[in-house]
Amino acid sequence: MTAVLQIEGVHKWFADRHVLDGFSLRVDPGEVVGLLGPNGCGKSTVLNIVCKLLTCDAGLVRLMGEPLSELGYHARGLIGLCSQHSALYPDLLPAENLHFFARLYGLSEKERKERVAELMHRFELEKFASTRVGQLSGGWQQRLHLAVSLIHRPKLLVLDEPTAAVDLEARMELWRLIEGLRDSGTTILLTSHHLAEAQRLCSRVALMRSGKVVAEGRVPELLSRIPGQSVAKVHSENNQAIMQRALDLGWHVRQHSGQMRLLLPHDLSLREIVDALEGTQVSAVSVQPVTLEDAYLELVGVSASLSEGR
Amino acid sequence: MPARHFLWVQTLAVAHRLLLEQWRQKRGLIFWAVFPSTMMLLFGLVYAHNDSMRAGLDAAAAGILVGAALFFSCLGGTVAVIAAERERGTLPRLLTTPLHPAAYFLGVVMAQLLLALMQVVMLYSIALWIGVRYHGSLFLGGVVLLLSVFSYVGMGFFLGARFARRSEEVVVALSAIGVPLLVLGGTFFPLEIMPQGMQAIAQINPMLHMNQAFKGVAAYGMGFNELRFELIFLLVFCVFSLALGIQSYRHLLGVDKSK
Repeated sequence: MTAVLQIEGVHKWFADRHVLDGFSLRVDPGEVVGLLGPNGCGKSTVLNIVCKLLTCDAGLVRLMGEPLSELGYHARGLIGLCSQHSALYPDLLPAENLHFFARLYGLSEKERKERVAELMHRFELEKFASTRVGQLSGGWQQRLHLAVSLIHRPKLLVLDEPTAAVDLEARMELWRLIEGLRDSGTTILLTSHHLAEAQRLCSRVALMRSGKVVAEGRVPELLSRIPGQSVAKVHSENNQAIMQRALDLGWHVRQHSGQMRLLLPHDLSLREIVDALEGTQVSAVSVQPVTLEDAYLELVGVSASLSEGR
Repeated sequence: MPARHFLWVQTLAVAHRLLLEQWRQKRGLIFWAVFPSTMMLLFGLVYAHNDSMRAGLDAAAAGILVGAALFFSCLGGTVAVIAAERERGTLPRLLTTPLHPAAYFLGVVMAQLLLALMQVVMLYSIALWIGVRYHGSLFLGGVVLLLSVFSYVGMGFFLGARFARRSEEVVVALSAIGVPLLVLGGTFFPLEIMPQGMQAIAQINPMLHMNQAFKGVAAYGMGFNELRFELIFLLVFCVFSLALGIQSYRHLLGVDKSK
């Protein structure tokens, strides 16, 4: 099967800064691949190279089996980009924005009208048909931006932190729409700072650090690499005592941003955890199944949680 | 879709979008109409008040059109378009589409040409009403205006790409660079009264040739042969403008994508 996108050993330097260091990634048809990593790890550089906004210094990028460098303008018709800032024309109506970009992609008049009507309906934009884009809320603008990036039926949809600049309600709505796209077979490459977003939307995740992929796989595969089934977050005046007790019990202990995390080898109730830690001055404890955030902390090994923001 | 047809479709799309945006910005449109009309009426009043100057009114009308109305709408308008694209972040978005730089440039030219035509009709309606006479060939006048709009847009791309990162900087760029070019273009003083050095510099200023060519046709009824030098200069500058516009567009995208 020909991959929609295949990136092989890509390097990129900005002056003396080695931003991508042999980065490789494959995206197959119908997959939603999440690219996660801390700020400055090179995610945006990867997307800019894929969207032909930058060129790589070494390595190869193939789109639909063809080297990106040989596709020229044709490559731009194969990719749809939706970034966190909705780059739209505020004085135009939603459908006018869609028509404008449809013309740039060379859709015929009949095709254009049908596609605009379809996307207006699919993204529920009809109720704002006579509202200028500049007067729409950030969430609705982003929804339109997503529709614009799909106007030409791209083979690969690139979502660069698509929900970073919208409120919670709009984010949930965008997730629903992206899930709809995923379920209808759209191939998506997504970057996000919200690990919950990646866990919910992605069929596969690549974790990046220092310009390369350090772990890659389906979410359950990544979760299975954590030495524990659930994680207890513990607050205490005496971290040393807790650490010693946890190690005695055969639990793995992690500390991130001053917070103690105990990786439990099997599911334990809150009562059982509290009993096991008795005498260690625990002031608060919570327990939950391991998530992508735990896998991220375990595999990328940075001390900041992405979901806590930049 | 064949490449040539595709370029044409993209050009029309850009022009249509710009005109639609212009139409939606009603206040801007009103000021755009008021400015040359007021200028023409004021000049008309001044010239009518001084019998010795009456004969110069025909040339003044041509000067107002090329040196004021088209300067602000075509050159200023293009700088504003570029600054707005930058501010809205639509430039990187455009680069991810198959939009050809030449189609973008020609789309801006087309939109500005239509606006310029409306200004010509409006300004000359007032001018004819206050006694101005148009002496030359309408066709040749149209050719000069077409070349002028093309040249202004090319200069607008250059100024917008290099000097106007935000909409607030549009006026600054126009004042600092555009207005001196207007002075050197013979809009305020005839070329003959300028020092020799200034006259030499003025010769490479396209605004001088726009002014001289349109005044020549409109006010003095000159034909192609008499204006051959100006027309060839403007034609060459149009080709240069297209190259300048494409290069400026690429420069813009290069700058913006590296943000």
